[in-house]
Parts: sequence; C-alpha cells; structure tokens
Amino acid sequence: MVESDRIRKSVDMVAVLTQKDFKLRYRNSVLGFLWALLNPLAYMVILTLVFGLLFRMNIPNYAAWVLTAILIWRFFSIGTTQGLDSITSNQALVTKTDVPRYVIVLSNSAANLVGASLEFIVLFPILIVLGIRLTAYVLLLPGILILEFFLVFAVSLSLSSLAVKYRDFYQLWDIVLQLGFYVSPIFYSENLIPARFRFAYSLNPVTRLIESARGIFLLAPTPSRFDLIVITGIIAAFLLFGFVVFRAREWHFAEEL
Amino acid sequence: MLWVFEGKRYSYEEFWALKAVSFELEHGESLGLIGPNGSGKSTLLKLLARVMRPDKGKIRTNGSTVPLLELGIGFQGDLRVKENIVLYGIIMGIPRSEIRKRIGPVLDFAGLTRFEDAKLKNLSSGMQVRLAFSIAMQVETDILLVDEALAVGDIEFQQKCFEKFANFKKEGKTIVLVSHNMDLVKNFCEKSLYLLNGEARSFGPTDEVTNLYLEDVKLQTMPRNNPDLNLTA
Repeated sequence: MVESDRIRKSVDMVAVLTQKDFKLRYRNSVLGFLWALLNPLAYMVILTLVFGLLFRMNIPNYAAWVLTAILIWRFFSIGTTQGLDSITSNQALVTKTDVPRYVIVLSNSAANLVGASLEFIVLFPILIVLGIRLTAYVLLLPGILILEFFLVFAVSLSLSSLAVKYRDFYQLWDIVLQLGFYVSPIFYSENLIPARFRFAYSLNPVTRLIESARGIFLLAPTPSRFDLIVITGIIAAFLLFGFVVFRAREWHFAEEL
Repeated sequence: MLWVFEGKRYSYEEFWALKAVSFELEHGESLGLIGPNGSGKSTLLKLLARVMRPDKGKIRTNGSTVPLLELGIGFQGDLRVKENIVLYGIIMGIPRSEIRKRIGPVLDFAGLTRFEDAKLKNLSSGMQVRLAFSIAMQVETDILLVDEALAVGDIEFQQKCFEKFANFKKEGKTIVLVSHNMDLVKNFCEKSLYLLNGEARSFGPTDEVTNLYLEDVKLQTMPRNNPDLNLTA
C-alpha cells in the first residue's frame, strides 16, 4: 500500500472512530449532551457558594473564574479517564484487526476534544449572563484546547497501554485525579501557595492551561509568548513519554486482552 | 505477489504457539491452514494479519492484507445500521468515500434496506451476520485472511461465501484459509500447511498435505485397527 494511502486510511479511521466514540457517549439518553453541562454548572454553583460566599476567596467574578477552570479540568479528567479505558474497551479491534493501536487512543481523545469544545461554546452565553465582557482574545481558545488535546492524548497513551496489563491503574488514576483537583488552581488562586512550594506546583501542566483560559476570557493576565512556549514544551515531553510507553507495550495487547 | 513467512512466535511461561514455521507463497496461490485445534493456526493467521508480532522471525508480504477473523468486528449495537456499515467498512480498509456510496447496495444485498436507520441491536443475530458479510464482500485487497469462524451461517450464506472466494481467486488474489473442511481447502487452496503442536508437519500441494493430515487422524482415532502400534491397554 502506498504511504499516502496509508495516511488517508488512518485519517478516515480516526474520523469514523471519533464519531463513534462521541455518539456512544450520549446514546440512550434524551437530554444527552445537556447532562454534560449540568454537571459543571452544578460544580460552579456549589463552589461559588462555598468559596465565593462562605470562605470568601475575594476574587472578582468568582463564578465565571471558577467555571472556566472547571471546564478545562473536566476535559483533562474525563479525557484521561476515558483514554485510560480506550484500548481495553475496544478489545475486538485490538485482537482481530490491524487498526493502528494509537489510532484507537487518538480518536478517543479527539471525541473528548469535541465534547470539551461544545462545553466551551455553551460557556459563552453563560459568561455574558454573569456580566463578563468578552474580547477578541477568546479567539485563542482553539489553540488552548488543541494544546490540552495533546496533553490528554499523551497521558492516555501511557495510561491505556499500562491499564491493559495492570488494572490497578484505573484506581490509581482515580486517586491522582482527586488529588489533581486540589492541586490545580480551580477553586482557589495560585497565589495562595507558599513560595517554597511554588516551583513544584508550577510543574502541573493543567495549571498553565487553566491560567491561559482564564486569561483569555476574563482578561486576567493573558498568556505571554513565554508561557505558551513553556506549556508546549511540557506537553511535547508528555507526548514523547506517552509514545515511548505505548510503543513498548503495543504488541502485547492482543495477548493480554 | 510473493509471501514469505519464517520463524517462531510467542512465549508465555515458555509456551511457544508456533515454532520454526516457514513457507513461501507465489502470486495467485492460496493457502490452506489445517491441523488439530490448538496447533497454532489462528495464531499464525493473526501474525499474518499484523494483529500480533512474532518474537522471532520475519513476515514479508507483497500487497495489502485484510483479516476476516470474525464477522462484525467493531459493531456497536447502540449505533444505527448505516453508521455501523461505515464503521465496519473502515476497519476492513475500505475508504470512507467508497463506503458511503455503497451503503445502498450493501443493504440491498443483505436484504436489510428498510433497516437503514434502525439501531443495530434491534436486528436479529442472523441479520447482523448477513449485514457483516455483505460489507465484507465489498473488501478489495490483495490478500484475504479467513478464519473458519466464518463458517457459521445458513446454506445460502455459505454459498455466497464460496462465490466470493471464487471471484477473488479469479482476480489472481490470495486467500489464506483456516479450516477443518478438507473439501473447502482442496477447492480453493493450491498449497496447504499442516500444523501440529505449533510446528509445521507438512507444507506443499494441498492434496498431499490433506492426505497426510487425514492419515494422521485415522491413526489417532482407530488405534485398535493398526497392528503396528504397540498398545498396553
């Protein structure tokens, strides 16, 4: 098969499998996609009540500030949780076909990108209702989401390949995400972190993505070129690591499933 | 096209599913894979399909390969029939633009035109098999790998299978067929490989190899009739 054929075939496959993953998510539900919004909105309301009113975070536009971060976090947490399961849940594809294994993970992450994008689109009217003035900076959103997509894909590659052999990863990742929610500046500001922990804290790639998203929507400091280079660098490293782990385990899948 | 297979495969706690199996196929030749259950036939087929990689040795193929190890791989019950046609078609290597065009003919052939928008899970298993086969018939490839698992189905279905194979061969393509049906193998395969306990017991023209297999089987099942065997029962 000619190389260009192979690429076209892979692109086709990603597209079709992404559609499949996305459609399956909201199967059998009438409200379907709307549920994906009720959850973050509920979080926003609860966090605003607890930290905006009760514990007084003193951040202007707390509700909008929190909601933006919640959506970035959701993309990461749901994307990686589903990515973790992507190989194991597509057993037939892995044991009976020659579909490139990374394509299975890629389309899973892509379906999550679509989902996250839709959630962000619905964010716009909500921000307006909350009294936020949107500027042209929001056009940078696709860039942030694409960066996050690569992060989710990278993490999913490692997790999915390890999860095939060690089911412990499901539990492990669940714990990591629980921790992650508190170690990311979602409901509190990064400024609250004591100086001596700052560096370790800043290694969290999701933190920078959250900052960037807040930057473009709320005109908190908008991401500088330096910030973007750092984020891209960190994510590239994750991708490299992800592929290395995945390739090492790839050919064992058919046996282990 | 030329097809070369050499070598070993597989170790799990030192169990080698295949050991030192080597063969070559010429352009237009089809191969029958025969042998008792557990002898490594399916493993070999999976290696050829690139579902797995050999621990040792090399596989060289000249041309595209499509595995037909099971019908309806990737079928999703919750999706609609036409969505499944596209999904399955893509997995079988048919370009997306092509499958879209063929949704109609596929449904016609399977007799399922009125079910285009129905959810797949609402179709009976027999209908799903017809659908899967109808899509598989659209496959265009140089080499087709077929596992006997496809043999489930009614007579009409099996007839269609054979017609497809015959057309395929007429176009000079190659089939690798795992089967317990010696007649089928003789019909479609010029060469055969007889596997026993992961090793190649015999490779060569189908008639010779199938005869050897049948001989071995006879010896296994009717020992009392064979005066050469030393029994202590």
